[in-house]
Amino acid sequence: MCSVHDTIEFEKRGIPATVVITQAFKNAAVFQFKGKGMAGHPYIEMPHPISNLKPEEMRELTLRYVDQLVRQITA
Amino acid sequence: MANDLGFIDPTAGGGRAMVALAPRPMDLAGKVVGLLDNTKEQGTLILETIGKVLQEKYGVAKVILRAKEHYSKPATDSLIDEMSKEVQVAIAAVGG
Amino acid sequence: MTEAVDEFEFFLNKQWSDGFPVVTPTEARLETMLKGTRCDPDEVIGSIPPAMEKATVRTVAIHALMAGCKPEYLPAVLGGINLMLREEFNMNGVQGTMHGVAPLMIVNGPYAKKIGIHGENGCFGPSFRANATIGRAIRLMMLNLGGGIAGIGSATIFSTPLRYTACITENTTQSPWETLAVSKGYLDTDNVITCAMVESPRLCFDDVSQEPDRLLNGIADSMVAMGSWNMHARSDMVVAMGPQHATICSKAGMSRADVHARLCKIAGRKVRDLKNGGNWRRERALGFPIKVNPDDDDFFIPAIKEADDLQLMVAGGWGPCTAVCHGWSGGSKAVHGKYEI
Repeated sequence: MCSVHDTIEFEKRGIPATVVITQAFKNAAVFQFKGKGMAGHPYIEMPHPISNLKPEEMRELTLRYVDQLVRQITA
Repeated sequence: MANDLGFIDPTAGGGRAMVALAPRPMDLAGKVVGLLDNTKEQGTLILETIGKVLQEKYGVAKVILRAKEHYSKPATDSLIDEMSKEVQVAIAAVGG
Repeated sequence: MTEAVDEFEFFLNKQWSDGFPVVTPTEARLETMLKGTRCDPDEVIGSIPPAMEKATVRTVAIHALMAGCKPEYLPAVLGGINLMLREEFNMNGVQGTMHGVAPLMIVNGPYAKKIGIHGENGCFGPSFRANATIGRAIRLMMLNLGGGIAGIGSATIFSTPLRYTACITENTTQSPWETLAVSKGYLDTDNVITCAMVESPRLCFDDVSQEPDRLLNGIADSMVAMGSWNMHARSDMVVAMGPQHATICSKAGMSRADVHARLCKIAGRKVRDLKNGGNWRRERALGFPIKVNPDDDDFFIPAIKEADDLQLMVAGGWGPCTAVCHGWSGGSKAVHGKYEI
């Protein structure tokens, strides 16, 4: 869950940030955002597991989330 | 911890410092985007894919991909500081 | 006028409950508990991730009291949590991980003996107040102050029974060797805690071997399962030899260091073998802190990548058994240090 920590560190420095997580870590990520003072911070949730996807499948899956991701880091 | 229970309720919560969301830009055109790779499997591919689309579709000027040392440890302050000087938005992957 | 609250239900209903009743923390009991330490109650110990709630001597004492500790246990609880918050131990990672490891406290030195931390028959199990409550106090803090609650702050798949409590000492009465702490350069008179992030013990029963070669082959086999993170990452491991097994080695002239070195050398598997199942991934092997050739089927991958990742100790009662606790993938390095009494 250290990517959540890193995301918050960017925010603290005034850099809008978001994080890609997988479903297995959703609750832990939400909790960590809350625990570190950023309750409700957005994130991108991919299904779990992804580690065995072939590169082409991984790219295709990622493409589905880019628009949502952009909304999280723009006004 | 004073209450009328007759005992202490040490339940944690409250009193924590809140961090404000950094101001969001209207769009990403011409921006430099930082991608922080925690080196967990697929992280690099996910970030590279995102970076490519951001440049092609959203007019991002440049993407900077940086890897941290270990996926389950926070990035060093110096890495975040350094990236924060170069980029206007940041994306981390993969949490979990 | 408020209705009387059932204090047992009050705490059992907390999200951070470990599922057992707690000793109700009253101001009077807290005052007694705080007599167990010379530290200022307001002294800050640190923040427990991921929730990052602050632990002070007072809040540690409250959790120790709820866990059922005697005041004289408090120095060990304070010493333990202090060590566990060291960066290299990576408490934050462990709290969130899918895996199921817990910080095992191995307490050495005269104070452990004085307060009755148990390292003999049944040391990993129930019946010993100091073991049960010191480890429980740590866990209650990890749950309440850290929020490492399964399904909330923690993505753990199975967790582990070691998350109820994980605190032992060595069987110094029957051990043929110096203690783990002494092997790290401390004095016998020092009060020392070593913590390692490990899974529950896996028992290696061997009532056949009468000499070290055969005995250590069997123990080494318990260290190298395909699904163990020790085979796929740099990872800690605790091997608690039963005094009978340790004595077989010492009678054959082996020192503790000899056994340590032998296990580091022989516990491992060839790439050919590892590729057939479990967590093998070429890139993972390339990330080891030692040079490996993942493309050579005959290359031998040791379970212990760096010698100080193996915590070798002597514990348990007399009998032909050794306990092996495998480690975690996520970059936690065992920590040790003296604690104040």
